[in-house]
Amino acid sequence: MEIITGFGNGLLVALQPANLFYCFVGVFLGTFIGVLPGIGSMAAIAMILPLTFYLEPTSALVMIAGVYYGAEYGGSIASILMNVPGTPSSSITCIDGYPMAREGRAGVALFGSAIASFGGGMIGMIVMAVLAPGLADLALNFGPTEYFAVILLGLVAASAVSNGSPVKGITMVVAGLMLGTVGVDITTGAERFTMGIPEMRDGVHLVIVAMGLFGVGELIVSIRANASGAFQNEIDYKKFYPSRAEWKAMFGPILRGSGIGSFFGALPGTGQTVASAVAYAVEKKISPNKERFGKGAIEGVAVPEAANNSATQTAFIPTLTLGVPGSASMALVIGALMMYGIVPGPRLLVDHSDLFWGLVASFLIGNILLLILNIPLIGLWVRLLKISYRYMYPTIIVLICVGVYSLNNNVFDVWLTLVFGWAGYLMRLFRFEPAPFLIGFVLGPMMEEQLRRAMLLSRGDPTTFLTRPISGTLIAITVLLLVYAIVSAVRQRRRLRKAAEALSET
Amino acid sequence: MKDLLLRLRKTDDEARPPHVYFGALGGIALLILALVFIVGGYELGVGTPRRLGTGAFPVITGFILAVLSLVVIAADFRDTSDAERPDWISFAAIGAALAVFALTVGRIGLVPGAFLTVITASVPDPSLPILGKIILGTIVSLACWALFIGVIGLPFAAFGGF
Repeated sequence: MEIITGFGNGLLVALQPANLFYCFVGVFLGTFIGVLPGIGSMAAIAMILPLTFYLEPTSALVMIAGVYYGAEYGGSIASILMNVPGTPSSSITCIDGYPMAREGRAGVALFGSAIASFGGGMIGMIVMAVLAPGLADLALNFGPTEYFAVILLGLVAASAVSNGSPVKGITMVVAGLMLGTVGVDITTGAERFTMGIPEMRDGVHLVIVAMGLFGVGELIVSIRANASGAFQNEIDYKKFYPSRAEWKAMFGPILRGSGIGSFFGALPGTGQTVASAVAYAVEKKISPNKERFGKGAIEGVAVPEAANNSATQTAFIPTLTLGVPGSASMALVIGALMMYGIVPGPRLLVDHSDLFWGLVASFLIGNILLLILNIPLIGLWVRLLKISYRYMYPTIIVLICVGVYSLNNNVFDVWLTLVFGWAGYLMRLFRFEPAPFLIGFVLGPMMEEQLRRAMLLSRGDPTTFLTRPISGTLIAITVLLLVYAIVSAVRQRRRLRKAAEALSET
Repeated sequence: MKDLLLRLRKTDDEARPPHVYFGALGGIALLILALVFIVGGYELGVGTPRRLGTGAFPVITGFILAVLSLVVIAADFRDTSDAERPDWISFAAIGAALAVFALTVGRIGLVPGAFLTVITASVPDPSLPILGKIILGTIVSLACWALFIGVIGLPFAAFGGF
């Protein structure tokens, strides 16, 4: 009952003309940026953040969420048409989407992906509305020790399950935690590592880190990758609607994909890429027409898209109720909330229930908007893909510069973005993932604060983290996760080495 | 200029992938960073276990980072696969574009600043002729003026210092 009243109130908030407008703008801009190959939802959110500082927190969050799932949807358009995933999680969609496009069924694939995204988004929203209040109630009993353990688990999960090497992932998280200490220490008021620069007293602004690592860093990588030219094929708009058999083939995969996606989205650290990969693998295993997967099966488009979008929604559950982000994009959402003066955590549902339920309801409206926006606008997105990248990237650079400069009207921020942009490129060059760095950077100050409080309460006894039941369990899970990540990494390396040896012998 | 860039691009593309030891540079940079934070943290004061000092968290994370970066360095030295080939031309041009924006926007205003930023950023693409770059720069800078100063109302000077 509480959920229904909450959701009803949320609908009233989300349907306010201003929020409706920002939801539309967010979804539109998100799709726009997501369509651009090589630029993902992270860069999209980072570029929008400075604009949202002028808005009410609820409108701002509705807009950021719209950008987030709009970019996820836009990413699938580039995957299907060009085999270039706009976001990492849509790389799974490439497997069947691109073969469909080459068979001349691009229209059907795009339509199917829009329907699957919608279905996934709706199921994810329901899961969020049902689970989040319960989790928040549980988390109300958390003290600093438990918070520290939750953050630790989130950080380890985010890095150990990342795409690259787990050791490098954890290294990046720790580097992020460390760099998060730059600026004035809130507890003692002492300056840390500011090098005497007054602009550094407040620490490095989150937008600068995100814009540099993701906006500028991704852009440098994508210049060479996109030099080969833009999308050239024509699309037959008449073949747009799936046939009855295709509708039927999609229904089950959408449900299963959404279920798997909702589960992985809600776990800290896994996120959409893992969700869509697992959902695709499961579907391939249980499908009666396994052999069609990878050759243009509509199920192969529907499953990852449904999983991806439901995970996008449920990722908000740990983010808003515990204050622990499941992914780098969610870390940006947390950072944004704190800039508006709202502390994400169990109190959020009590103190800002309008914001929480307004956001949940805006998912419904945003997903409907995505559906009605994208079916007529597919032609526009295709035309956007036809614009050569050489016009795009200088424009994006200017947008990044203006966005960063608008934070404080200070060119120092632009210089700092340059430093983080170069760092982001070098990280990719040396095969470090920038996403765990950002998560560490956002959670660092929170983790330090909880650590200090916990140590003070336990009178300097570090075993408090192990002896308290909830934090002890969480730390045990963290250790298990670490062991699992290391063992599987070592196994994989052995397998690769054996394969390489076998190859060199032949 | 165009020939020079095309030649640079070509030699860059044909170059052998960088030596594997190149990959370990990332770990070494992190190790140095960790040491800076450990030393700096000690100077700030680590406090007692009960009352952790200002420098405690940087020292703890610095130590963990130092150990991890040693592991990364060791792993990267043993990694025999080719390292990624860097694209230094784009790296330099995008950096220069940001620098141009930072140097110009406060002095000569947003419109000329954005124009010069576009020109600088598009340098690594020899396929766009100079006239195309000028047209693109003009469109983008005027659109910035209309959007950021006109519509959103950010407190920037469109033209300044004249």
